[in-house]
Amino acid sequence: MLAVQVLINALLLGCLYGCIAIGFSLVWGVLNVINLIHGSFIVLGAYLAWAAYQWLSIPPWFALAIAAPLFFGLGYLLQQLVLNRVITAPVLVTLTLTFGLDLILNNVMIYYFKADYRKLTLSPPMGSVSILDVVVPVDRLLATASALALTGLLYLLLRRSRIGRAIVAVRLDRDAAVLMGVDVKSIYAIAFGLGAALAGCAGVLMSLIFPISPLTSATFLGKSFVVCVLGGLGSVSGALAGGLLLAFVEGFGSTLFGPSHAITLSFGLLIIFLIVRPQGLLGRKGFE
Amino acid sequence: MSIPGKSAARAAGLPRLLLSLIVAAGCWQFSAAQASAEDVIRFGAPLPLTGPLAPEAVKQQQGYDLWAEQANKAGGISVGGKKYKVEIIYTDYQSNTPRAVQTTEQMITQDNVNFLFAPFGSGATKAVSSVSEKYKVPLIAPTASSAQVYDQGYKYLFGTFTPNDTLTTPLTEIIKAKAPEVKKVAILARNDLFPLAIAQEMEKSAKANGFEVVYFEKYAINTLDHSATLSQMKSLAPQWIFVTGYTNDLLLVRKQMVDQQIKAPVVTMIAGPAYPDFIEAAGQSAENLSSAAWWHPAEQYAGKDIFGSTSNFVKLFRDKYKSEPDYAQASAAVCGAIFQMAIERAGSLDRDKVRDELAKFDTVTFFGPVKFGSNGQINSLEPPVFQIQGAKPVVLSPQAIKQGEFRLGVN
Repeated sequence: MLAVQVLINALLLGCLYGCIAIGFSLVWGVLNVINLIHGSFIVLGAYLAWAAYQWLSIPPWFALAIAAPLFFGLGYLLQQLVLNRVITAPVLVTLTLTFGLDLILNNVMIYYFKADYRKLTLSPPMGSVSILDVVVPVDRLLATASALALTGLLYLLLRRSRIGRAIVAVRLDRDAAVLMGVDVKSIYAIAFGLGAALAGCAGVLMSLIFPISPLTSATFLGKSFVVCVLGGLGSVSGALAGGLLLAFVEGFGSTLFGPSHAITLSFGLLIIFLIVRPQGLLGRKGFE
Repeated sequence: MSIPGKSAARAAGLPRLLLSLIVAAGCWQFSAAQASAEDVIRFGAPLPLTGPLAPEAVKQQQGYDLWAEQANKAGGISVGGKKYKVEIIYTDYQSNTPRAVQTTEQMITQDNVNFLFAPFGSGATKAVSSVSEKYKVPLIAPTASSAQVYDQGYKYLFGTFTPNDTLTTPLTEIIKAKAPEVKKVAILARNDLFPLAIAQEMEKSAKANGFEVVYFEKYAINTLDHSATLSQMKSLAPQWIFVTGYTNDLLLVRKQMVDQQIKAPVVTMIAGPAYPDFIEAAGQSAENLSSAAWWHPAEQYAGKDIFGSTSNFVKLFRDKYKSEPDYAQASAAVCGAIFQMAIERAGSLDRDKVRDELAKFDTVTFFGPVKFGSNGQINSLEPPVFQIQGAKPVVLSPQAIKQGEFRLGVN
């Protein structure tokens, strides 16, 4: 029964990891920008959910509807006004720029919210459901379902809509997309906006599960990075696959070898993937 | 056509003018520094103001600031009939221990601090103490308890936290007396110097008192999810769950315990429940959690330090910060108060004389009786054991400040 419980835990956690990473993966895949501000966007989203619930009694599910357009706008403007100026520069320049922006955002959050930990506690709490001896926390289940719904929406957007096809076209071949009349700068801004919106929404969902503090942004960013490498860049299903793989390794690794080895195992796996399968589980090798 | 001689002279004149200006400015700065050095006593305080330990740094800083404010309000520290203002020089070591060592050395050699406060926790204090010892600067540590910090044979290091076993032993004795049916203990520790050391003390204490330790595991720093660990722990059906870590870790573990419907007659967490922000964030799930700390606002000591009584310290703290003080803030404030008394007794800013005063210090403060052992660690305190009841910490021991009875059952 312990194995089933660990499996269920890992399934739920894996979907949440996928949700954390998907925006990061999109921006990295389409814009070739390693967006170091991603973790802080997640934390900001969590604060938004916390504030909405604490001050206005808006439950996190509705806060998603506020977070998505707000963060999209924030990301869109950031890309249009700042990042687009250096987008053609080597990857190190955008990396440094997002690093600087992250420092600013993170310190602004420390200034306003303080470094204390807060917790969004639903009243009454949602509790857990137990089937036989397996326990499933309802808030985690709902967060996972929302994460899957968001992932599904992004998948549909990329597959079915004109903007989505344009994003994929830019990702596959930027020059060809320009020749076909795609406004690349605008597509970049939309993709970055989508990445930010996904990060903000992920933050809203994470606020149900994890304590909120500006200091946790680095942990979220680290998880996003590992998930992207494991799952493959720029693909929706890749982020989900990477998240699930990471959660399984952490869950079973922790049960078999002790929790102190869970992170070692996940980073060991990361190194193996970088050597053996750098394109990740579902990523494709190059697009030329 | 320009006259070469004249332009050369003009060219030479400009740097000379600049040079004399710089020298003049330097002299003025030097004399200003001299003047201020005469009027103030500088205390160096390396703190992890940014990075994962930032919440702990804020607490320490609040304690130091409150003491400095009170000392300066009273005119300053009296040394041989003359009053000196208190100045605290803060540096941010970004939760990075090697940087704490660097900034401390810098404070001694460049900022000319007279005395030092230690950084946060046992690990960083141990690292920094080698620098203060090298320069013979008295260092008081407000948040270092592990024996490994004090067994180095250092002369200039003092600390206001008693050894870790003074927390776990009374706790074990209470559980043994009040909950005789509790036999199986599970221990989960953050893999970090203090949380691990206290977990190991707990294991020793539990075994010595006849408990069976069915689970002992460490989790890595920055662990985001404990669900697998807790599922495994649940399968062993422990009656006493003992978890160590800092606020974030303990909030996460507690939330996931509720998620997994893990219940036990006794759940102890160190060091989170001592902090008001933990109790607020954990809400209902904090109920009946037991813990132990080095100080508690309910204590009632009539001290000879600048704060006087414990209740006066609590009042001053509430007035300034609009919140309840916890042991970290109180310990930082008492470090300042101890330095003040030692300097006043030495009647001098001579580091060796102040060090000698600290070594023979034996005075009651608002924090409790303060007397340092030969290794520099305080040996006069009896740390309180408490339990969260009705969203408030209720002291269970020592008898003198007991506020309530131990309650069984954490759901």
